[in-house]
Amino acid sequence: MTHIIRFIIISRSQWLWMVSGILLCVLVILANSLLMALSGWFIASMAVSGASGVSFNYFFPSATIRFLAIVRTVGRYAERLVTHEATFRILSDLRVWLFMRFEPLAPACLERYSGGDVTGRLRADVDALETLYLKIIAPVVAGAVSIAAGLFFLAWFCTPAAVAMLPFLLLAGVWLPLLVRRFSEVPGRRSALLAAELRTKVTEGLQGVEELILLGALERQTAAVDGLSVQLVLEQERLGRINGFSQGTMALFAGSGVAAVLLTAGIQVASHQMAPPNLVMLLLFSAAIFEAAGQLPSALHLLPAARESAIRIFELADAPIPVPDTHVPCNMPVDNGICFKDVSASYLPGEPVLQNISLTLPAGGSLVLSGTSGIGKSLLIEILLRFREYEGSVTVGGTEIRDLPKESLIAMMAAVPQRPHLFNGTIRENLLLGNSSADEERIQEALRDSCLDAWVAGLPLGLATEVGINGSAVSGGEARRIALARALLKDAPILLLDEPTEGLDSATEREVVSRLNERIRGAGGVTMLVVSHRPACLKLGDSIISLKRN
Amino acid sequence: MTEYSEECTDKGSQLDNSPEHWLTVEAGKIRWFLLSVVCLSAGIGLLVVLQARLLALACQHIVMQGEGVSSVIPLAAALVLLAAGRSLCMFILESSSSAAAARVKQAVRSKLYRKIQSLGAVGLAGNETGPLIETVTRGVDELEHYFTRFLPQLALAAILPLMFLIIIVPSEWRSGLVLLFSAPCIPLFMILIGRGSEKLHRRQWGRLSRMSGHLLDLVQGLPDLIIFGAAKMEAKVVARVSEEYRTATMTVLRLAFLSAFALEFFATVGTALVAVITGFRLLLGTLTLGEGLFVLLMAPEFYLPLRNLGLSYHARMQGIAAAERIAPLLAKPLPEGFAGTLLAPTGPPSVLFEGVSFRYGGNRGGVSGVDLELQSGSITALVGESGAGKTTLARLLVGLARPESGRILVNGQDLTLYAPESWRSRLAWVPQSPYFSSGTVRENLLLGRPDANENEINSALEAAAADKFVSHLPDGLGTLLGDRGAGLSGGELRRLALARAYLSPATLVVLDEPTAGLDPENEQLVCDALEKLARGRTVLVISHREQTLSRAERVAEMIDGRIDRVVSPNEFLTTCEDSF
Repeated sequence: MTHIIRFIIISRSQWLWMVSGILLCVLVILANSLLMALSGWFIASMAVSGASGVSFNYFFPSATIRFLAIVRTVGRYAERLVTHEATFRILSDLRVWLFMRFEPLAPACLERYSGGDVTGRLRADVDALETLYLKIIAPVVAGAVSIAAGLFFLAWFCTPAAVAMLPFLLLAGVWLPLLVRRFSEVPGRRSALLAAELRTKVTEGLQGVEELILLGALERQTAAVDGLSVQLVLEQERLGRINGFSQGTMALFAGSGVAAVLLTAGIQVASHQMAPPNLVMLLLFSAAIFEAAGQLPSALHLLPAARESAIRIFELADAPIPVPDTHVPCNMPVDNGICFKDVSASYLPGEPVLQNISLTLPAGGSLVLSGTSGIGKSLLIEILLRFREYEGSVTVGGTEIRDLPKESLIAMMAAVPQRPHLFNGTIRENLLLGNSSADEERIQEALRDSCLDAWVAGLPLGLATEVGINGSAVSGGEARRIALARALLKDAPILLLDEPTEGLDSATEREVVSRLNERIRGAGGVTMLVVSHRPACLKLGDSIISLKRN
Repeated sequence: MTEYSEECTDKGSQLDNSPEHWLTVEAGKIRWFLLSVVCLSAGIGLLVVLQARLLALACQHIVMQGEGVSSVIPLAAALVLLAAGRSLCMFILESSSSAAAARVKQAVRSKLYRKIQSLGAVGLAGNETGPLIETVTRGVDELEHYFTRFLPQLALAAILPLMFLIIIVPSEWRSGLVLLFSAPCIPLFMILIGRGSEKLHRRQWGRLSRMSGHLLDLVQGLPDLIIFGAAKMEAKVVARVSEEYRTATMTVLRLAFLSAFALEFFATVGTALVAVITGFRLLLGTLTLGEGLFVLLMAPEFYLPLRNLGLSYHARMQGIAAAERIAPLLAKPLPEGFAGTLLAPTGPPSVLFEGVSFRYGGNRGGVSGVDLELQSGSITALVGESGAGKTTLARLLVGLARPESGRILVNGQDLTLYAPESWRSRLAWVPQSPYFSSGTVRENLLLGRPDANENEINSALEAAAADKFVSHLPDGLGTLLGDRGAGLSGGELRRLALARAYLSPATLVVLDEPTAGLDPENEQLVCDALEKLARGRTVLVISHREQTLSRAERVAEMIDGRIDRVVSPNEFLTTCEDSF
């Protein structure tokens, strides 16, 4: 329940759409029930009048029947449009809300969930929440309101009929949905979990298909996918069966309810306490009002799965922010010098990687960090980018970076991270991420300084060439150089490079290093921190520090 | 990245094998189930008729004949019994629908996943992974309603109205005529409106997949977005993409709901006409209330199957949209050249490339006219600029792709003649970015050899200089890795991949930059290990590192997809002295 309330709070700006949708739902259900009731009453009155010869004014009821028919038809169309409109608006709000929540979690928190799964979860679960308003909240609220209104209508004409109908409506509208909910709780939860698991396995299997083939592990991986699929399909089948149970039981209650009204209202007619045509009216009304109760079980049937999705979404969104931001005003950095003092940090709690590291990089200086892999060189860069928390003191321009708003800190830096990500788009779009206002000249400069000019010039589409998903359409070396050009384009006072020449052949590597040196020294004043163990990269630094374990 | 391409290519619809045809074939596999659905539904229809009859009769007794309630008690009891029978039929119907759908989904998913896997990277050029994942998971699930809703409803819409009409006509033939003539309007309008929305609906599917891909891309690249201060900006793009999706979907729905509107309209008008006709005949006294009420009660029931068919039209389109993705994939021919039957040599093979050419589509490089010999039990190093075709050559050698022209001879036999499984079991390959899945270090290590014992594991780890860091992990081999091996450094992952290669009984080893990302100390360790590994095996290693090259027997240099020269390491290193 708390999740649903939270969901409503997130999408509160769409309240008008949500409420209108529910009101239209109620309107349609009532119009339909009244239409049936009035038609029954009309027919019975005509029959009574035909038999008794008493004249009957059929203009008013037939005009009302026409009116109700229009309300029902147009109302249903409007109801569908409005509830769907509300749903998509809510979805849109939700996606943005989630993306904003994810931002401070990256990368430290997000990498603990698998990459395919974060988006899979996001995508599938956000979509599952689509059912929350359209298929759960709206029908449940509208159903409850309509049942209450229906009982009131029955009681108005024949209180005993309303009393007789009440238990059946309660059974159908309260007991059955609760029962169905209890039945489908486990399979619903399991199918949501299995669907997520299946997605992860399929993602892994398709991304790693080549190695799986060569390792001979394909058949085992496929069997695992099959196993998950069988389980998922089984749970879905179980849900289908519960749905059948609920529909069947609903039909039983509806039939019994109508029979009960027949008997109670029949007594009233026999004892001349009610006009005979009203009996027909109440019977047809009772049959129709069950439509309102009919949507309740199927709505609540979906609740466990939707709840599961909501729990997972909120769990992900509520993950504690690994590196909190600050908004307290502080002294802005006076220059772009970097100083680490007694810094300790780790990727996972309890597994220290860096211990009491101290190093100083004066403004405008350049430093190359080398050392065995896994010693935490990349961690130093991630600390500077505020991707990881640290102990000790790290200052930029004399200001502790912990006290600097992330935005101000990031504005000072350009970086090529350990695993740069290229976005699915053109080379130009990827470069412009570094500086959206860069002109052609600046772009060409950055391309030249990262040794991409000749390659880009040789591409038939030039900068408009698509890099593919995760940069799959370009080679690893090209991707890294695009990331380098992107960082250079930002023209930030601090440049952080994590293995900028990885994947390059030695000739290109030397060329990149010399052009980079030329650019940085030419510009003057840029502080550069390079992490690399490639000998060629050592030329990038004024000084070189080699990290050793402990 | 900020652009989210609007245009959708309806590739599926251009293919010969129509998705609807494929669906029909799949439906044929569950025809017994479909038949039972039709029988059950006809049974439910009969129960409905009886219920209406009894209710009308009861009203006749009380309203017209002024009888007491006691006369209708048996009728009320019968009504409850009929309701119980209907309830049972509905339960059986839904259960068997779900079971049949489960069977179809499972069979299709299994077949589809295997097919995509066996198409491998070659056959799928041009298909992005995101949409494929979507097709295998959600796409298959979306078939369900085609089989459980649309097909049964189609059969019912053909049977029930006719059955009801035959029952109504004897009671009131005029109303029967109204129903008879209004009924065809419903499918007619449905088809007219449905045509338009079908195309739109198909495009929707493409949008949905792209929206998913777009979000995955942004989430994976969040750190980069943060570095460039663009994360806040991209949130706006997420909003825009969702908005575009909403407007596009609403356009489809406005039309799709219009068909439901038309259905509803005709059903309502038809029912109202029936009410008026029977009403006046009752007024004239030419019809009994029992008959009239029965006809009135049956009128909505007459339209119900048609309306349900209209509602299930959505299920049909969903199914077709999914089939449009699935059927072409299943129909794709398997890559050729993988039907060999020879067993791979058990000793270190000798390999001869003869005029081998292979090009990727578009601007991605390839190799052309490559002649190269890998002597049995030798180490050959492959060098060249990035994009020169080194990785392509390696992929051809391990058999992930087949040459477009020329051939690769292994011990004098064309590589395509060897049974792929046998060949693969004899080789180990460590690509530039090795595959790691979320799971324990042990699971990842034993991917190729789940039966390896502790001794083998330990010596493989030691050989790959991975024993130290693994023992430093909190849970050792049991340590859980994140996606793509998150939690270990690039160098550590590479050594783990090497250890995986050591574990396999390979006679041919292909390594793509095994020492890239390693510091000199580790490079030394890995190179030593490589030398150990090379004993009794044929090795092809792509590398630029002097350390690695110096251990090779021969160095082949590639330029622009061709082998430029094959020389001894010493000769190569002296001519490239300045490189190092």
